Amino acid sequence: MNKFPKRREINIDDFKSDKPVGALYGLPSEVKFCSRCIISNQRPNSAVEFENTKDTKKETINFSNDGVCDACLVKESKASSIDWGERERQLVELCNEYRSKDGSYDCLVPGSGGKDSFYQSHILKYKYGMNPLTVTWAPNIYTDWGWKNFQSWIHSGFDNYLCTPNGKTERILTRLAVENLFHPFQAFMMGQKYLGPKMAAMHKIPLVFYGEDEAEYGNPIDDTKSAERDFSYFSASDKSKIFIAGTSLDDLNKNFGITQGDLYQYMPVDPDIVKKEKVHVHYLGYYLKWHPQSCYYYAVENGGFIASPERTPGTYSKYNSIDDRIDDFHFHTYHTKFGIGRATYDASQEIRSGDITREEGQALVQKFDGEFPERFADEIFNYLSLPKKDFPIASKMFEQPIVDRDYYNNLSDTFRSPHIWKYKISDDTNKGEWVLRHGVWDS
Amino acid sequence: MINKRLIARLDIKGPNLIKGIHLEGLRVIGDPQDFAKKYYEQGADELLYIDIVASLYGRSNLTEIVKKAAHDIFVPLTVGGGVRSVGDVEDLLRSGADKVAINTAVIKNPELITEIANRFGSQCMVLSIEAKKQDSGMWEAYTDCGRERSGLDVEKWVAKAVDMGVGEVLVTSIDMEGTKKGYDKELISLISSSVNVPVIASGGFGEHKDLKIASDAGADGIAVADALHYNRTSISELRQHAIDYDIPIRRW
Repeated sequence: MNKFPKRREINIDDFKSDKPVGALYGLPSEVKFCSRCIISNQRPNSAVEFENTKDTKKETINFSNDGVCDACLVKESKASSIDWGERERQLVELCNEYRSKDGSYDCLVPGSGGKDSFYQSHILKYKYGMNPLTVTWAPNIYTDWGWKNFQSWIHSGFDNYLCTPNGKTERILTRLAVENLFHPFQAFMMGQKYLGPKMAAMHKIPLVFYGEDEAEYGNPIDDTKSAERDFSYFSASDKSKIFIAGTSLDDLNKNFGITQGDLYQYMPVDPDIVKKEKVHVHYLGYYLKWHPQSCYYYAVENGGFIASPERTPGTYSKYNSIDDRIDDFHFHTYHTKFGIGRATYDASQEIRSGDITREEGQALVQKFDGEFPERFADEIFNYLSLPKKDFPIASKMFEQPIVDRDYYNNLSDTFRSPHIWKYKISDDTNKGEWVLRHGVWDS
Repeated sequence: MINKRLIARLDIKGPNLIKGIHLEGLRVIGDPQDFAKKYYEQGADELLYIDIVASLYGRSNLTEIVKKAAHDIFVPLTVGGGVRSVGDVEDLLRSGADKVAINTAVIKNPELITEIANRFGSQCMVLSIEAKKQDSGMWEAYTDCGRERSGLDVEKWVAKAVDMGVGEVLVTSIDMEGTKKGYDKELISLISSSVNVPVIASGGFGEHKDLKIASDAGADGIAVADALHYNRTSISELRQHAIDYDIPIRRW
């Protein structure tokens, strides 16, 4: 395995041309925006993360012939064709089947104590009489308000297991995921995704409840036809095919000094164990009509949830996904790769939910999308750095183990796709800058 | 003793009356005109309109809404959101506003306060403050619907602004706004004790006793929003409670 270089070159001419060739990551070469919300057709579907490498081709959100995205179509069908009374009856039936008679945990709710997991666990316990155990995969670095909300959640009446992963491993994996996939949130996502089913099997809890179905955000519509979550997202039977942070288990061990034990929490669930313990994973969003804004109100009123003290960089919102300091960079890198930033994400959801208009969404994206997340930048660069003293083995694999702004910016450029980005030379100053070729505000 | 005022606050986004919690999670409530007329008929002393996304578009969208309101409503109207210049103030006053509340534009350019006060009089220059308490114990002034920090210490900022010509201060507590947990009385008394112009308290009304708390803290005007929008109380009920609490107030 080669060392990660200090600097990587890109062919800038690919980005200067008005007719760019070559879309990275298997993205559609023509950028389009949904005519109802503002999501673009570049949005990748949820991937099976343990198969994700730098060569993986993305499946992307489907648009209908008249230019409407699947997420909007799901919303429309939910509004018109679903009998929510009948769905709730099914939920009650499911709860009746699994509710424990001796007070032992009968369902497990993985979550952070954000507005959605708050709503999920609270309504299951206080309305449907279940005995949930909540489990939390700790953020890379808690925000102060994220930690407070997490505490408020527990104190509103829940037992909780907080799993805080080994910081050394998490930092190496996060750095590798940035180098290979430009995806600083991947290690977190894997740990978080697999924790629920693992803890359920360990505690012999038969039922796991997630909140909203990913199809609400544009995964294939077929995903919404069942309440049960497809196990392919988090279980694997063949370890040789598993990649974490885009790196094989073998390489992680040989080159980065990460042992099998270090990786336990990041490994997908063994399907045999889940089958043996008869764990079922359901979406509560299948049974109950989900409105993120209402979850915020519910969490404030029932548990003292607080919005963050300022908007999140790259967007206007201050109530969703606010507990991890690395999250700012998750969306900044996403914007670099796919041209989709946090404001696009937030506004699309709020347009679909009827909270804002498309016109407002366009203005929000123009104002906030892709903004550099200054507030925690130094702390995050420090987190991604692997100094020799603390990481004697892994640091050898990098020509520059320390991440600084130049390093991040250079790496960032190598993940830009010419069909999304243009390198524009200003007539006045003769200086170049990166601009999106397509803006939703023009659509 | 000068009467204290009961003020109905209407936050506006586009054509809609909206309401949030901590100025976030903005919910569409309905047509502002319907609500405004109701509050006027119930005897509100004043109405307060704030265009909550004006900063996003860089313009005020309230002219039409204010024109319509002024047609049917005959109590003072204070209007804010997206006001950036003397010209904007003039437009709003012409549309029927009596006072104009400004936050972002005067933080960026405090001289604007003096220009407006000189041109139209201090009585119509209302300083709008969105305040959030910091861990250090100070309150920081925010802009853009409680989303952006300005770095300004509220106590110092309000004193400076009043020196420059502000005739009234509207203070919204981001921490309490929409929570129904009561007004931030420390914040109100901090401001009312440091300036000699009227102070309107906004954000947090939950129960009727909150009127007394705000009044005792030094508020001259008390703004109520979601308790009215969601029909948890009415202006007439508020007035009766204020009288019961011996708050000096207009008899209706």
